[in-house]
Amino acid sequence: MENITQIIAYGVITGAVYGLVAMGLGLIMGVMKFLNIAHGSFIVLSGYIAFWLLKLWGIDPYLSIPLVLIAMFAIGLLFYKLTLSPLLKLPSVGARMDLSMLITFGLIYIMDNTMAMVWTPNIRSAVTSYTGESVNLLGARFSITGLYGLGIAVFTAVVLYVLLSKTYFGKHVRAATQDAQAASLCGVNVHRTYLISCGIAIALAGVAGVIIVTSYSINPTGGLSWLLIALVVMILAGEGNMYGILPSGIIVGLIESVSVLTVGIAFRQAAALIIFILILMFRPQGLFSRGE
Amino acid sequence: MEINWKKLTLFGVLVAAFLIAPLVIELGSNVMNLLVMLFILIILSQSWNMIGGYAGQINLGLAAFFGCGVLITHFVWKAGMPIFLASIAGGLAAAVLAGIIGLPTLRLKGAYFAIGTFALAEVCRIITAGAFTSIEMPGSYASSFSLVSRFYFGLSVAVIAIAVVHIIVNSKLGFGILAIRDDEQAAQVMGVNIFKHKIIALLVSAFLAGMAGGVHAFLRLSFFDITTVFNPVWTFEPLMAVIIGGAGTLIGPVIGSVFLVILSEIFALTLGQAHLIVFGFMFVLVVMYFRNGLVGSIDQIRQLVTRIN
Repeated sequence: MENITQIIAYGVITGAVYGLVAMGLGLIMGVMKFLNIAHGSFIVLSGYIAFWLLKLWGIDPYLSIPLVLIAMFAIGLLFYKLTLSPLLKLPSVGARMDLSMLITFGLIYIMDNTMAMVWTPNIRSAVTSYTGESVNLLGARFSITGLYGLGIAVFTAVVLYVLLSKTYFGKHVRAATQDAQAASLCGVNVHRTYLISCGIAIALAGVAGVIIVTSYSINPTGGLSWLLIALVVMILAGEGNMYGILPSGIIVGLIESVSVLTVGIAFRQAAALIIFILILMFRPQGLFSRGE
Repeated sequence: MEINWKKLTLFGVLVAAFLIAPLVIELGSNVMNLLVMLFILIILSQSWNMIGGYAGQINLGLAAFFGCGVLITHFVWKAGMPIFLASIAGGLAAAVLAGIIGLPTLRLKGAYFAIGTFALAEVCRIITAGAFTSIEMPGSYASSFSLVSRFYFGLSVAVIAIAVVHIIVNSKLGFGILAIRDDEQAAQVMGVNIFKHKIIALLVSAFLAGMAGGVHAFLRLSFFDITTVFNPVWTFEPLMAVIIGGAGTLIGPVIGSVFLVILSEIFALTLGQAHLIVFGFMFVLVVMYFRNGLVGSIDQIRQLVTRIN
């Protein structure tokens, strides 16, 4: 019994991080129909920013989240202006998606190698006074950093939900998602909406990066494995479904923690691919979509 | 099928030059190694070209098929089969792996195929890292090692790869594949079975990637870290070679591969790791502004010149 609560606790905590990792990817995919392959590299980059803030100025990683958020938002605006907005001239959505994949694929090459030169290929993590400590709650042990991660993931998901469903900006985003041309005819500035949602998406990658650098570790080439998780979570939630991302992240986390116990730690991520293929075979629209 | 004698002669002369070169001049093991790696890159980029350039499906997991080819070839060869049959076994295994991911994802529109192949490569890497650490051939293979045989094997597989892609693209099947890339809906209206054509393109592509893996397994007898054969580099480099050379042309991937290998030899000495950043920038710029690659740019310049004349 104690074992089971521990597995659930571990699954929920890792799953919340997985949900957070996938949010930015899902936002860009849902709103603009661009697939950002470099999402993992953005996560690692923000992890390095938080790492530097801690090492150089001694700013606690969790307090540095607003700073990282602002920096990554600016990087996101730049990213949109330089690489994605030229693609909007293309007529077909399929060609846009293919080219966005190729461009961000090249971006991985640029970002990963730049990061390896600046921060060396060593594995880094932000070690604070409370790293490694844990508390007992409801009969299971939670690490402090894991609990913070869970809290921040849920908080971010709620903020994003409010932003998308209750504000005027959110209305613009949803309008542009459904039909960019019609939205533009109704007076929505589609380009600005895209610009800001891209900034928000990269800022979300920034939050995920801070959580990862505190409770896991980062290295310059680690972005790809985070991208894999983000893709699986996004497909599970359904393409463009923002509200299902955190729940499906937690589902992936739970499946992973169960598979650690049953098939061993070396194969735990193979479970992700098996879920992925089953989802594609039987429910390609995702678990949480109502279907079209 | 109309045969272009001029191009065929040029191709023949090039192949003959490569055939004779090791017999006439002493190339040295560095150059030989580089040439075999060039052949592997040409096979891989021709493979990516088949699915990405001609069929228009972006494959982000070529490393999965390559690595599968390396592993299967290695074990079949070790079991006593001749290398040619072993590498065909590697190619077939890669095609089976491609079928597993292609059957569900190629039915769907959107980025599912790219995501699926990417996930496949990452998971192959994780599983092999858990299953074995290092594999090596027995000593008798190492004592009879000769680079010349690797050279000829790589050359022959590269020629086969180019020929296979050429024959397929110029057949009725290939016209169907091209039609799907250009306009899926129109192709369907004309009675092209979209799913069948995409699957065939994928299987051929994966088979070639597996054969490239066979050449790699033949060249490197032992692997201290087997996960390196699933490294995303094996996807990145062929993709880069195809896009920079010109996707959807027969000669583009070959030019792109030669270009990349020569540039990386020059830059790696002068710039160190920064040369990869230069490649990344070059790739992004080509995708954004010269979508037809080097071959397309040459055609554009030629058109400009004739217009001026």
